[in-house]
Amino acid sequence: MTATPGAFARLALIAVLAVILQLSALGPDRLFGGRPDLVVLAVAAVAIYAGSFPGAAMGFGTGFLLDLAVGGTMGVSSLVLSAVGYAVGRYREVRDPAHGLLPIPVGALATLGWVAAFAAVSFMLDVGASVSPLVLRDMLVTIALNTVIAVPVFALCRRLLRPALRVDPLDLRRKRQAPRETGPLGLRGLEI
Amino acid sequence: MFDKKVVRRRRATLAAFIGLSLVMLTAYFGESGSGVFHTFQRGAQEALAPLETGTGRALKPFRDLFGWFGDTLDAKDENDRLKGEVEALRKRLGESDTATREARELRGLVRLARDDGFPQGTAPVAARVIAHSPTVWYSTVKIDKGSGDGIKEDQPVIAAGGLAGKVTRVTGGTSEVTLITDASSAVSAQVMPDGANGIVKPELGEPEDLLLDFIQKGRRVTKGATVVTSGFTSSKVESRFPKGIPIGRVSRVDLDEVELYQRVHLEPFADLRRIDFVQVLTSKGRGAQEQAGVLTP
Repeated sequence: MTATPGAFARLALIAVLAVILQLSALGPDRLFGGRPDLVVLAVAAVAIYAGSFPGAAMGFGTGFLLDLAVGGTMGVSSLVLSAVGYAVGRYREVRDPAHGLLPIPVGALATLGWVAAFAAVSFMLDVGASVSPLVLRDMLVTIALNTVIAVPVFALCRRLLRPALRVDPLDLRRKRQAPRETGPLGLRGLEI
Repeated sequence: MFDKKVVRRRRATLAAFIGLSLVMLTAYFGESGSGVFHTFQRGAQEALAPLETGTGRALKPFRDLFGWFGDTLDAKDENDRLKGEVEALRKRLGESDTATREARELRGLVRLARDDGFPQGTAPVAARVIAHSPTVWYSTVKIDKGSGDGIKEDQPVIAAGGLAGKVTRVTGGTSEVTLITDASSAVSAQVMPDGANGIVKPELGEPEDLLLDFIQKGRRVTKGATVVTSGFTSSKVESRFPKGIPIGRVSRVDLDEVELYQRVHLEPFADLRRIDFVQVLTSKGRGAQEQAGVLTP
């Protein structure tokens, strides 16, 4: 991703949209005892399309905004989302994945990392109440719902990010198509 | 090949973000409610409030649609449960005449307020819920009324049916309400009509199940008994609740022979999973509060 004011504006727009929609639009309604989490999907999408540095920055910024808006302990969401964004970005840089259904496993694993690490940090901060086993159900349902909505959320984020991207993983996929079978024998596969 | 400079810069960036987060976390815990981070948080919440209100209203149909799926899935189980309840209620109907007479006497003895959770000396202020916390670890909601409407910190908040929580942060036009299902919540309560006292605490992840703890073994609590606030709170966070606000109904009693206290499970009267409107019980004055039986912990 090219570090331009436009790129920063796009990242900020995604972060604000994700946090506001998460808090206001999804609200308290639950499906199977849980609800989707747009914030971590937005961070994972930025990381997978833009890389580890923008991913970590997006994680930090979105977490900061979330802590501000929710009124929770400042720094918890930033800490966890920075790590999630960096990890997803590094996965993209090291493995260079380009499959069209990539958002599904990436969204699921990022959500798993987010809910597990957030729970661990919350425990370390001394939760002063007993914890029901249903918390686990809530986490699993969130992961399942995020897996379902990952593809459209990633697609929307990609659409918003695309003008600022140096390399689009989906474009790489197109470039990896099988070489043409026509043309002079010596030029096969050279895309001339 | 790997560019060492890029690798170093990337790792330094991650370390910087994590370091910043830890600094914020530590500073937030270390400072008082009027510290820099708390003040900044209040300012940001006030700034974001109009945006959240607008988005919440605009997207309410989608939210309702999402909620409809969940409600439909729960409807079958609820139907079976309600059928069972109807049977039980029919049996109890025959006993109701006797119970009514006894209840009248008990009411006179314990002076149970019969004003639907509105203690005397308070002025309820209706507010709309504009945002809900997204995790199970923090049960808070934001409402569209603030200090400009007479709301102050620690004032009790009720939803349809009973106690919902208390105001924990106030800005000019919005307030944050910590629900009784939040990990930090602890409300002193009384089981009616036998008067056993205990502390109502949440069970994280299960908003329909509260725990009434620290009830001595000698005081037998029965299933179906009503639990109300007893007039003072006991928790790490100081707060005050007027006496007599309904909290919930006893749904189960666990009595461990080894433990000193009973563990009583409550089903809250207020549906805390989906609240759109609440009422903040603002105080009319100190004299009125004392009349209502508000005690300082």
